Amino acid sequence: MLIKRKSADASRGKLQAALGGLSSGVMDRRSFLRRSGLVAGGLAVAGSIQIGAVRKAEAAGFGPATGTKVVKNICTHCSVGCTVKAEVANGVWVGQEPAWESPINRGTHCAKGASVRELVHGDRRIKYPMKLVEGQWTKISWEQAISEIGDKMLEIRAKSGADSAYLLGSAKFSNEGAYLFRKFAAFWGTNNVDHQARICHSTTVAGVANTWGYGAMTNSYNDIRNAKTVIFMGSNAAEAHPVSMQHILAGKEINRANVIVFDPRMTRTAAHATEYVRFRSGTDIAVIWGMMWHIFKNGWEDKEFISQRVYGMADALKEIEKYDPKTVEDITGIPEAQLKRAAETFAKVKPATFIWCMGVTQHTVGTANVRAICTLLLATGNVGGMGNGANIFRGHCNVQGATDMGLDVGNLPLYYGLVEGAWRHWGRVWDVSYDYLQSRFDEVPAKGGRPARNRKANMETSGHTSTRWFDAASLPAEQVDQKDNLKAMIVFGHGGNTIPRIPDSVKALENLDLLVVADPHPTNFVSLAKRKNGTYLLPIATQFECDGSRTCSNRSIQWGEKVVEPIFESANDYWVIYKLAEKLGFAGDMFKNIQMVKGKYGMEPQAESVLREINRGGWSTGYTGQSPERLKLHMEHQDKFDLVTLRGAKGSPVENDFFGLPWPCWGTPEMKHPGTHVLYDTSLEPINGGGAFRPRFGVTREETRPDGSKVNVTLLAEGSWPKGSEIKDGYPEFTMGMLKRLGWDKDLTPAEAATINSIGGNSPDGVSWAVDLSGGIQRVALMHGCVPFGNGKARANAWNLPDPIPTHREPIYTPRVDLVAKWPARPDERTLRIPNLHTTFQKAAIEKGVAKNFPIILTSGRLVEYEGGGEETRSNKWLAELQQDMFVEISPDDANARGIKDGQFVWVSGPENNSKARVKALVTERVGKGVAWMPFHFGGFYQGVDQRGNYPKGTDPIVLGESVNTVTTYGYDPVTGMHEGKVTLVQIAAA
Amino acid sequence: MRLTRSILSFLAMVAMVIGLGLSTPVAAQQGAPINPTARSVTEDQLLNALKPGSAAEIGGRVTIPDAKSATLIRPAGREWREFHQGTMHLIGGIAILGMLALLVVFYFTRGKIMISGGPTNRTITRFGSFDRFVHWTTAGCFIVLALSGLNITFGKTILIPLLGESAFAAAAQLGKYAHNYLAFPFMVGLALMFLIWVKDNIPGMIDVQWFAQGGGLIGKGHPKAKRFNGGQKMVFWSVILGGAVLSVSGWYLLFPYTAGGVLNLQFWNVVHGVVSMLLIGAMLAHAYIGSIGMEGAFDAMGSGEVDLNWAKEHHSLWVEDEMKKGVVPAAMQPAE
Amino acid sequence: MARMKFLCDADRCIECNACVTACKNENDVPWGINRRRVVTINDGKPGERSISMACMHCTDAPCAAVCPVDCFYVTVDKVVLHSKDLCIGCGYCFYACPFGAPQYPKVGNFGSRGKMDKCTFCAGGPEADLSPAEFQKYGSNRLAEGKLPLCAEMCSTKSLLAGDGDIIAKIYKERVVKRGYGSGAWGWKTAYKETVAI
Repeated sequence: MLIKRKSADASRGKLQAALGGLSSGVMDRRSFLRRSGLVAGGLAVAGSIQIGAVRKAEAAGFGPATGTKVVKNICTHCSVGCTVKAEVANGVWVGQEPAWESPINRGTHCAKGASVRELVHGDRRIKYPMKLVEGQWTKISWEQAISEIGDKMLEIRAKSGADSAYLLGSAKFSNEGAYLFRKFAAFWGTNNVDHQARICHSTTVAGVANTWGYGAMTNSYNDIRNAKTVIFMGSNAAEAHPVSMQHILAGKEINRANVIVFDPRMTRTAAHATEYVRFRSGTDIAVIWGMMWHIFKNGWEDKEFISQRVYGMADALKEIEKYDPKTVEDITGIPEAQLKRAAETFAKVKPATFIWCMGVTQHTVGTANVRAICTLLLATGNVGGMGNGANIFRGHCNVQGATDMGLDVGNLPLYYGLVEGAWRHWGRVWDVSYDYLQSRFDEVPAKGGRPARNRKANMETSGHTSTRWFDAASLPAEQVDQKDNLKAMIVFGHGGNTIPRIPDSVKALENLDLLVVADPHPTNFVSLAKRKNGTYLLPIATQFECDGSRTCSNRSIQWGEKVVEPIFESANDYWVIYKLAEKLGFAGDMFKNIQMVKGKYGMEPQAESVLREINRGGWSTGYTGQSPERLKLHMEHQDKFDLVTLRGAKGSPVENDFFGLPWPCWGTPEMKHPGTHVLYDTSLEPINGGGAFRPRFGVTREETRPDGSKVNVTLLAEGSWPKGSEIKDGYPEFTMGMLKRLGWDKDLTPAEAATINSIGGNSPDGVSWAVDLSGGIQRVALMHGCVPFGNGKARANAWNLPDPIPTHREPIYTPRVDLVAKWPARPDERTLRIPNLHTTFQKAAIEKGVAKNFPIILTSGRLVEYEGGGEETRSNKWLAELQQDMFVEISPDDANARGIKDGQFVWVSGPENNSKARVKALVTERVGKGVAWMPFHFGGFYQGVDQRGNYPKGTDPIVLGESVNTVTTYGYDPVTGMHEGKVTLVQIAAA
Repeated sequence: MRLTRSILSFLAMVAMVIGLGLSTPVAAQQGAPINPTARSVTEDQLLNALKPGSAAEIGGRVTIPDAKSATLIRPAGREWREFHQGTMHLIGGIAILGMLALLVVFYFTRGKIMISGGPTNRTITRFGSFDRFVHWTTAGCFIVLALSGLNITFGKTILIPLLGESAFAAAAQLGKYAHNYLAFPFMVGLALMFLIWVKDNIPGMIDVQWFAQGGGLIGKGHPKAKRFNGGQKMVFWSVILGGAVLSVSGWYLLFPYTAGGVLNLQFWNVVHGVVSMLLIGAMLAHAYIGSIGMEGAFDAMGSGEVDLNWAKEHHSLWVEDEMKKGVVPAAMQPAE
Repeated sequence: MARMKFLCDADRCIECNACVTACKNENDVPWGINRRRVVTINDGKPGERSISMACMHCTDAPCAAVCPVDCFYVTVDKVVLHSKDLCIGCGYCFYACPFGAPQYPKVGNFGSRGKMDKCTFCAGGPEADLSPAEFQKYGSNRLAEGKLPLCAEMCSTKSLLAGDGDIIAKIYKERVVKRGYGSGAWGWKTAYKETVAI
């Protein structure tokens, strides 16, 4: 038998056509280099070659087989927003090709992105609706499922009130899905609606928004290419956001940038740093204030920036003075010289950016941690420019969008809050009356010494956080600040194992009257519960089986096109939400302005139409310019955007736009605002993507001087304004009244003026840029070079927060009990409808000698192969093969002392509920002595017991394991209710 | 030769392989500046560390359970290849062709060794049917194993030009199956041979004399011998020991997942190959002397009945013992 | 003619395993067969480096040299491929391979080795280009489509380079010069008996 190509003259095939032309012909050397992955090399040509052209040339010769169509969607596994290019033949997703043209991922993926095709083959998906009948999973029809769930919800509502149903949404919704879910909660009449942002970046959003206006990443992944200093703190981007490392490492190489990683664990990211700084978990504020101490002692701060654009730095300094190098070394374990070097680098080698993730946010002091970092950025003038900023890497593929859409206990869509004006605004957008919306809410009786709340007060009161849902279900009704305890959990796309204190949630699950899990995979909610009845599993399609937009971490919005029809009997979120609303009787009002189209199971809301409704109402955040048409145009012309600036090329259909129209994208789509690549950037005209800090907390603040006299201090910028501004100083947010004072009201079109007047009624002057449905106020402000939201100062002193100036507080379960007297946890308080007992728990831990019996600090994190609770990724055979066992990383010292060998089973026991988890030991120097680390993606084992049998047959993930949250403990941020996921104490023993 | 070195350092290697490879002598010291980029481990560093007698592999950590995959680079494969493609052929060539040549020379110089006293037409039972069954089972297996084994080493050079790739691959595949399956009866036969013949194969002073007299092969006269003479004892022990080594090494090659790493497999493969070649050589000599090389010898394993004179000449003491036990030589069956 | 090689820039590799799943995705590689893998050296210590490794398509490939049935062949692009029709699953290529590339499904007699499987540089096998039989036995033939191996094309940080040896060596060299450090073209000395001189 002759083997082809054995000799050089055997068929050389098409390959030669492609590669033989290295000197001429089809593929020139440059294009070959591109395929070779050259472009990332930091070579001069980077970004200058358009890949699309090359691909087309190739495709002309030997493209995919006829009948194969290429569909673009976005990876569903993290917030980077990698474009996924799917080849579909006969309705089957047959292949995945690199999307070279995406400026974000440029063809690349991580393990998860490179395996998403498996998701829609997934033989472990939920295949049809099911319910538990006396402990047995039974197949039911969609009609039966919707009807029974609806009846049960109405029954619970009649008995315990609307607030007794918890609506837990998902960061994996599209923007449209998230928006509909939030709207659904409003029409149902509760603020008990939340999603994964609670447990990932809620403290970031709170901390950042309270500092300079908006709760989002200020720059972009691509922009980090401009940075000369990059600090990572509590972020392991190499595993959590792998594709972002393409930009970061390229920047590191091109700029010879400093990359400093602060982490208790020597992560894969740290392996690529120029400096790795190990510190004790939970001491972030001391680290940051320690850096600030050096910066101010040495005069490295940016004095001009502070005086022009920062309020309250002097107040912060009073706190910072306490953090001398000795104190900081004692608290954090970082030697003075090392911290000083990091501080000096960050302050002097600019632009410098600060990247943080869950290592910073998941703490009882999460919001304060974030605030401290923001203050550091402000002190060094590292916000609002290319290459600097607070680069907050968010987690899920649409956690930014879902947050924006108000899947939050304290917000209507687009951060309007819950105040009356917000409800009235959305009432206008939705075309329903304020009174109707109010009528949907419960009246809350007086209890526990708290006064009663009428419907209006209740609709303006933030709901329960997802981190405490089980407490809301289990605590004595008197302690729960609503009509009754939680009775129903309606969970769309949210894991059950990502929240600490699993032993407590197991108990609460048994108390629920109704549990609905709507998800592509049965989550841990299903496997943990020992329920017999009242449990429903609804098969939901992934975003690959659904049209819609999603917002990446950098605020760019990308349109994903449905790759294939929902597989098996699964249905998309839109249809399910619609059917539930229909059953509950408010679909007519809720969907009155949303176009319905024919879907898999009949008429369903059209994604484009939902986005247009978002555009009609999203003024406060600049979600108004991103029409579906513009987003689709961007996806079509991805190759026209610059790699570093994300700006659309001259002469292209997307000229001047930033890729994905990162919000704020002001005004109407017709205004063609380019979006905002870098927030608060005064070097650009606002109409061209520039901005300023948002004066969100008033115009002046009364301060007391040392002599006791009062003075009003301005909160507006002084001597700083965006390029081209006609107002050459700070100014407050724009209202109709302000336009009039400036004489700019005459620039409004009659139609705009009419809309403003109709909104304002008797007092049109009060109509602001955020509620003007015509967009006229925004348009006119921008026309005059002004930012619609004003030009204010960022706040180093956020007086409205529990800790206005962050202060170090020892974790509740601290190994350093000697430090608690000086740096105690916050006093007991109530956070969002529920008690938050910091001090009680900290004191009890000390009295019980927890630090002695549980001497190892346990912290947690991400594996690159898995995402979140991990049910989806652990069901993907290509990923599951790579991580087959739950493990705990333990240092060689600790392992030797306990006689533990690498790879053997150990028991990790926690200080609450006699909790324990049986996992494999991974003995490694990644963690220091006295520290252990566990990934948080596992579930399906509980305290040593295999729960595979609890899953409906054929839907169990391939890999099961103990959840880290079985042993994690109490502790909640006082602002957002964020759990303490990164510091607890455990003991480890050989099993 | 490098391979010798690698075999000698085999145990050391195993010890190293089990560990997680090499480490640069830097430890994370709290406080000292830690610049992971500047300290990055380079390939050169690690390759340099592959000093004779130390590690043979550069390994690290992988998340998949397949421990073999944690090895990144194993230059030792090159040595194994050199051995397998060079030394092994040499050893085989020498052992087999050399032995054949030797036998040819022997045949032409010494000629067939005849029964000095001539056949008596009286026979004595040398091997019962069970002995012969065991012998031929083992021998049969050995021949197939040897041929299929040789095919693996020399087949592609000799047979591919003759058969072509496909036919050869099919034959080789069959040979592999035969090799794998016949290994078991071979091992059983080996064990039985050991049990039934070991008592007569204990070396003694008499064997020294036997060898001193050249086993009667060189020169005239026959040294005394019991049931098995020195030469046969040598064959016995080379079969038993060689066979045992082949069994153990073969077992690991057959069940590669039990061998504990590729270096071990390479080691066992070398052992298997070398011992096979030597044993094949030895067996050629054994077969020669048991057949065309000596008059009357084949009958021992053929019919089991040997000529009395042959027995007296080659196994004088055994014949005496047999006689004492009252065994009466039978009259030769007339040839038909 | 191109001389196809792989080069993993360890200073870029973050062990994200995209190469591993991309390979599985593109070639439908079954569970337990790992044509490509990522190994981390000095795990947890400063200086730790991860390297993605698969068949390096060696010059004078040891696997081909030791194969008793001569089932290996080298394409015009110097990609080392093999015929599963000829392979008898003897395991010799695995003994000889310096990179642990050959993989065997546990389907042979006594549950040992089936036909060897390894990275094909996404160049299929001896069957007709892009035929179903080729895909079934060896996976994709991206080279025939004018594409490079998907592992390298999808590498998150563009650490794994695949393509003509001279070109990828040049890319790597330019990177090292630009950034001022480089831990080496891993495996090149062993596979190609040369390295990228900086």
